[in-house]
Amino acid sequence: MTATLASVPAGTWTIGTPRLLAGLDRYATIDHAAHLAVRGPLPYADRPRLTALLEDVALSGRGGAGFPFAAKLRAMPRGHGTVIVNGSESEPASFKDRTLLRRAPHLVLDGALAVAAAIGARHVKVAVHDTAAALAVRRAIGERSDCRRVRVAQVSGGFVGGEARALLRGLSGGPALPPGRRVHLTQNGTLLSNVETYAHIAVALRLGPHRFRESGTHAEPGTTLLTVGGAVERPGVVEVPLGTPLGIVLSAASAAPPQAVVVGGYHGTWQALQPDLQLCHANGLGAGVISVLDDSTCAMGELARVAGWLAAQSARQCGPCRFGLPALARDVAGVAAGHDVAAAFHHAHAVDGRGACHHPDGAVRFVTSGLRLLREETVRHRTAGGCGRSIRGQLVVPT
Amino acid sequence: MIRLGIDWTRCDGHGLCAELLPGQIIRDEWGFPMLAPTVDDTHAARRAVALCPALALRLESR
Repeated sequence: MTATLASVPAGTWTIGTPRLLAGLDRYATIDHAAHLAVRGPLPYADRPRLTALLEDVALSGRGGAGFPFAAKLRAMPRGHGTVIVNGSESEPASFKDRTLLRRAPHLVLDGALAVAAAIGARHVKVAVHDTAAALAVRRAIGERSDCRRVRVAQVSGGFVGGEARALLRGLSGGPALPPGRRVHLTQNGTLLSNVETYAHIAVALRLGPHRFRESGTHAEPGTTLLTVGGAVERPGVVEVPLGTPLGIVLSAASAAPPQAVVVGGYHGTWQALQPDLQLCHANGLGAGVISVLDDSTCAMGELARVAGWLAAQSARQCGPCRFGLPALARDVAGVAAGHDVAAAFHHAHAVDGRGACHHPDGAVRFVTSGLRLLREETVRHRTAGGCGRSIRGQLVVPT
Repeated sequence: MIRLGIDWTRCDGHGLCAELLPGQIIRDEWGFPMLAPTVDDTHAARRAVALCPALALRLESR
């Protein structure tokens, strides 16, 4: 039997010793008393010590871009500013940030408060899209006395709206759209990172660098959250040591023999199964989404569906993305209907790198890696008009 | 090194830049500019930047 993520959103399991997900086998939601019982108090670190710690454990942002957190911290001006927890989680198949916010909100708050205390930030904002997550964070704030500077902001969804600079504009009352010029957020006194990043900071403060490094690889120590879905019997949010081979995760998830694996979400890549692929940010892990497609589904149709969704996610600000992604989506739908792939590659090239944010580049990476991997499928669709299989929806597309 | 850049949120694809810098800029099928990687004639490039009706074309140093 296979199940899609949409049907089992919140199951969690782990490979190795859980850090972020510790306690979730016993508690549906970890309240403040349980949080302290499971983890103990949070040690304070001043700015130099926190920076050194996060540099030592090479903590990278977990929203997909993987920027070193210590570098962000170092670039912040002193004594003021805002810490933003980006919980917009706009990747459709991703559920890890919502899971943390809903079930272990105190760990995320710990990390954000530790950063705010170290840099002297006056405000902490938790930006969430999911209503249940917003409720859980508000409840958690009410359970502790150190959260007076924390606010929860419910933000509209949308793939591009979750991009850091777009999110920031939305929070300031503007449109949630990427700005045309590249600005460094830290110059404006804003330190923004993904929900999971702050949870790792809370873990690192408690473990210290030496024990933090006992998990993961030398270059990327610690654990990471994955959202595993598609043709697997155990979908869910999974904590694994960084560097865990993909094959181990898929067998633990009881995955069907894959036709393809999509690594890194809908800005990620289609791959043939490489069981030895080490799951780490250097290998394109992105925000940690792993989707399995088995032989029962029309993979070409799945690709076309997501291409259509990606086109619809364009913020329609930038011409090449606004016109090019729908053209590309039509081409991919055409390939599924039996047309040649040349037009799709032509439009992919025409869009790549030509926007204010990385949405066009990510969409192109997803589509072209899919078309390359599914070369035999494209030939089959062209010669036989299809593959005789239906689209099972193993790649989740929001409706 | 100086090169041309585009604020894609501003560009409406008027195409004036492609007319002023024919060796440097061509237009894609929707009319939006595609840039050569480097600038040959800085003076002409500055003029094109100044004349862009959407204030989208700019010079960037790298």
